[in-house]
Amino acid sequence: MLRLVSFCLLLLMPGLAAYAELHPPAQVTAGKGFSISSTGSGDATFYLLAPGHVAKREVKLGQDIAVDPADVKKAGRYLAVACGSGGCNSAAFYVTAAEPDKVSFLLHPSRVRVRTNDAISATALVFDKFHNLVLTPVTVDFKVVPKTGPTISRQVKSNRGVAWMRMASTPKEGPVKVIAEVAKASEARVIQQVASDACNLRIKAKRTAKGVLVETDPVRDCSGNAVPDGTIVSFAEIDADGKTTVDAPIKKGIARTELPVNGSAKISVASGVVIGNEISLGGGL
Amino acid sequence: MSTIVALSRRWVLLVGLGLLAAIAFPIFLNVLRADSLPQVQLNADSIEPRPIEELTGTNVTRDYANAWRDLAQALDKNQADHLDAYFTGFAKNNFTQKISDQKTTGVHVRYVDHGHKVKAFFYSPDGGEMQLLDKAQLEIQVYDGGKLIYQEDAAQDYLVLMTPGADRWFVRSLEPIAGSSF
Amino acid sequence: MKAFLPIVIVVATAALVAMAWVQSGGLALHEMRSAGTPEEAVEALMTDIQSRNWDRAYARLANSNDFEKQLFVRDLGGSSGSLRTYSSLQSFRVWPVHATADDATMRVRLNWSSAVGPLDDMRDLHVKKEGNVWKVVWPKPQLPKVPPQVIPVNYLRWDVIGRGATDDWGVQNVDNPNVRITSMNAVERPDRVVIVGEVVNEDTVPAYVNVNATLLNSDSKAMDQEGSFDMISHTLLPKQVSPYRIDFPGFHLKQVKSVRMDVKAMLVPASADPVIAVTDQKMDKDPLGKNVLRGALVNQSGQTVNIAQVLAVYYDANGKVIWVSDGYVDQALLPQVAVPFAVDVPDDVVSKIQNYHVLVNHYSINESS
Repeated sequence: MLRLVSFCLLLLMPGLAAYAELHPPAQVTAGKGFSISSTGSGDATFYLLAPGHVAKREVKLGQDIAVDPADVKKAGRYLAVACGSGGCNSAAFYVTAAEPDKVSFLLHPSRVRVRTNDAISATALVFDKFHNLVLTPVTVDFKVVPKTGPTISRQVKSNRGVAWMRMASTPKEGPVKVIAEVAKASEARVIQQVASDACNLRIKAKRTAKGVLVETDPVRDCSGNAVPDGTIVSFAEIDADGKTTVDAPIKKGIARTELPVNGSAKISVASGVVIGNEISLGGGL
Repeated sequence: MSTIVALSRRWVLLVGLGLLAAIAFPIFLNVLRADSLPQVQLNADSIEPRPIEELTGTNVTRDYANAWRDLAQALDKNQADHLDAYFTGFAKNNFTQKISDQKTTGVHVRYVDHGHKVKAFFYSPDGGEMQLLDKAQLEIQVYDGGKLIYQEDAAQDYLVLMTPGADRWFVRSLEPIAGSSF
Repeated sequence: MKAFLPIVIVVATAALVAMAWVQSGGLALHEMRSAGTPEEAVEALMTDIQSRNWDRAYARLANSNDFEKQLFVRDLGGSSGSLRTYSSLQSFRVWPVHATADDATMRVRLNWSSAVGPLDDMRDLHVKKEGNVWKVVWPKPQLPKVPPQVIPVNYLRWDVIGRGATDDWGVQNVDNPNVRITSMNAVERPDRVVIVGEVVNEDTVPAYVNVNATLLNSDSKAMDQEGSFDMISHTLLPKQVSPYRIDFPGFHLKQVKSVRMDVKAMLVPASADPVIAVTDQKMDKDPLGKNVLRGALVNQSGQTVNIAQVLAVYYDANGKVIWVSDGYVDQALLPQVAVPFAVDVPDDVVSKIQNYHVLVNHYSINESS
């Protein structure tokens, strides 16, 4: 009888091992080690399949299976599989992102004209230290530091890891620093605000030995910002010999050139699509 | 004698054809599998703050489908270079690491893709980032060598971040998340 | 009998050599070199110039004592890395303008083959008879000399630093320049459709610009796509305006329902110098009676501009762009030295021109950007 019972038990043992179950925790945070309890007995091969990682090792069923923090860095759906002599059993669980630790900050454009509505767009993505998107809403603090004037702060709550805002450019040209802050993480970007088109483009002329020296008044936009050096100003002069044109860059705020003149002449100026005043020579300036 | 020769010839022909079929059929299957794109349906009705252009929607749909096709091939064959065309950033790093681990452990994962219902909900004002929620129907098979250790017909949700490149959209983040409502 | 074979061989060889000489144009060449007529004299000279045999060409001149051979070579062969130095004389045509027993004026049209395409040059040459031979009196080359001086060049330069490979993906790159097509006009020509217009760099940084156009038929299907190639000033400084012209050979306007324009711009390092003045611009006719826009280019900087291309845009009374033409100047632009140019204008366009604007594309060997 005893032999019969032992024999039956021996037959049943593999079957018992086959019914091993895995019980992971309901929720796991990325980077935190934990244990998966298991039922059954005997040796088994344990697989942990993560979004960015696969681990495989031999374990003993019936004992807690320890999972190293290094094996759960990535957030997402995990599969724990244990394969023994009787077959394989599995359990799925989710790992969520850890505390916010990093912010990826995208600011566009890199250059913007002054006084333009909704010209600047800022997008911040909140990550934990393992580069998992933090899906729980967190507050992102956007700070705008212009070249002159007070700092402006705006707080935006993230939605599925993303917080964004739009803002107008300020009236003054120059660099504007924008900082996105979340917890201890902070990223800064710089936008260059540039002058708009030239406004009230005016020239004056003075006769010289070779012809006439024509120069503009300091070239500014309608907000009073200096148009950057290097901007092309086109001078045109029409006299008895024909037409003369020169595309001259602004240097230190002023564009100038010397034009040959034969008798009376008409001189005009333009920059891009902006046209300036016209001067007639010959009857006196 | 002539009968024996004729029979021999027939046998040789049959064996040869059989061998050819045995070699060609898996290749043919692979080609079919490689070329077939998974079905992706994109819904951008509630996208904000930037409206999506029709061409952008078409391109995102196409490139997302290409990304899934490539991902399936990469994880099945343990070949990380399949990820070069449509993956970048964290997503590419993660899957590359996963493939490296799969090679070490002898595991490979096969996805049988039954389609994706994708909802685009965020498109940044400058057009540089797009976030999508993907309800994917997948059959997931996990093999250790040639042995099937896990099989599942899953409806899995993914949170996707895509960014535009020179001529296509790239998947920058692909995170499986617990079921969400669209 | 013994001598028969050698004699036959010698005669046959001589005959074959003579045939080859005639075949290779030896007869024609000999006639040219004898210069018995003014036309032959000029043709012989041009042949020597074509084969770059400067010694023989110089020897044909009636007034070789008036200037050195080097000046003659530089006049025709080019200097200072100009376009002419990379060109060769492809063909020429000579015809008389005026002739007497001892004196003639011959007009020669030279067609130079260059890296940017064919270049035409027209000269009137005085030919005089010395004994039995006609010789060309070559106009004394007036090659400009730039006096030693210091020219301050406080030009503005732009350099571009893009994001690095290891930068976080959130680090913003420098944006591409903002350019805009300000006008577009589709023009019918006898054998093509031409798209002309202007593009402006609205940004504060230099832009490398390319304009492409696609012709669409009535089904909105693309028939052809072409680019502006070199009919545009590719590097545009801030607020600079360039004309563009895109040719579609073999198409007619009636086939075209609409045109899709595409302008691409990217950041490039650039320099605001050299500044090139375009002086004395006027509509004129060339010696062949063709309409041309003439003028002179003056390089106001201290660096030689090796190759200059003139782009001219023409406007009608409404300010609409009606044509764009171009021409390469085969002389280098030395500092402060005026160099003439002329670009062709189609006859049917001339009557509609109310205004025009000239832009100069330039290339300098020593330019670092």
